[in-house]
Amino acid sequence: MTPNFAVVGIQTPHWRMPRLWLPVFLLWIPVLLLSPLIFLLLVAIAIAARTTIWRLIALCWGVLCGLTGTHVHVNTQDAEVLVRIL
Amino acid sequence: MNENRRQILEMLAAGKITADEAERLIAALEDAPPPSNGATAGEVKPKNKAKYLRVLVEADEEMTGMKGPTTVNVRVPMQLLRAGVRLASLIPAQAHDQLDAALNKHGVPLTLSQIKPENLEELIDHLEDLTVEVDGKDANATKVRVFCE
Repeated sequence: MTPNFAVVGIQTPHWRMPRLWLPVFLLWIPVLLLSPLIFLLLVAIAIAARTTIWRLIALCWGVLCGLTGTHVHVNTQDAEVLVRIL
Repeated sequence: MNENRRQILEMLAAGKITADEAERLIAALEDAPPPSNGATAGEVKPKNKAKYLRVLVEADEEMTGMKGPTTVNVRVPMQLLRAGVRLASLIPAQAHDQLDAALNKHGVPLTLSQIKPENLEELIDHLEDLTVEVDGKDANATKVRVFCE
């Protein structure tokens, strides 16, 4: 399953950002609009890597789907960074 | 008739066991508790597959040079690791030597060409049993834990 939301939270000693729920699924709109360019880019990468375009798409799709569930949280006494991909 | 009983009868028919032995085996089979979740007897229940690789770091001021303790909590999906290794197969063969040399130079004795999709599952299976715990000694209170969940 592809990521649908990303939760981002950043806090510094001088500034605190509320946790943002970013609707990652909305990125499909620009991706679809730019799909011809993305396809050409993938063809170029496939030629450079001496593989097939379908295998490359499958690999990229695997990475995209694998991102779901990623969680990174770094916390210090006065700063905090949180990234969660849901 | 279940699979075990059929096997016993087949062994009896083939003359591999005597009638007495078959009777005892069937009796033992009847005394055995029924397998749960529809699994047949003798079938090993697979262990729960780990879904995430977890890295927890608790570092003190001395280690990080920052004020107060620092904690790092990273959870990486196993699926992402699998996809990453598959993606690494796109690296051209001529670049492998350079990468291996650079990794060796930084203390990572890894040969990228040996990681292939065929032995990827084995690698992930072994990662599931991995637990690394590092505790700092003396005044160093740094703790590192790497495990699968």
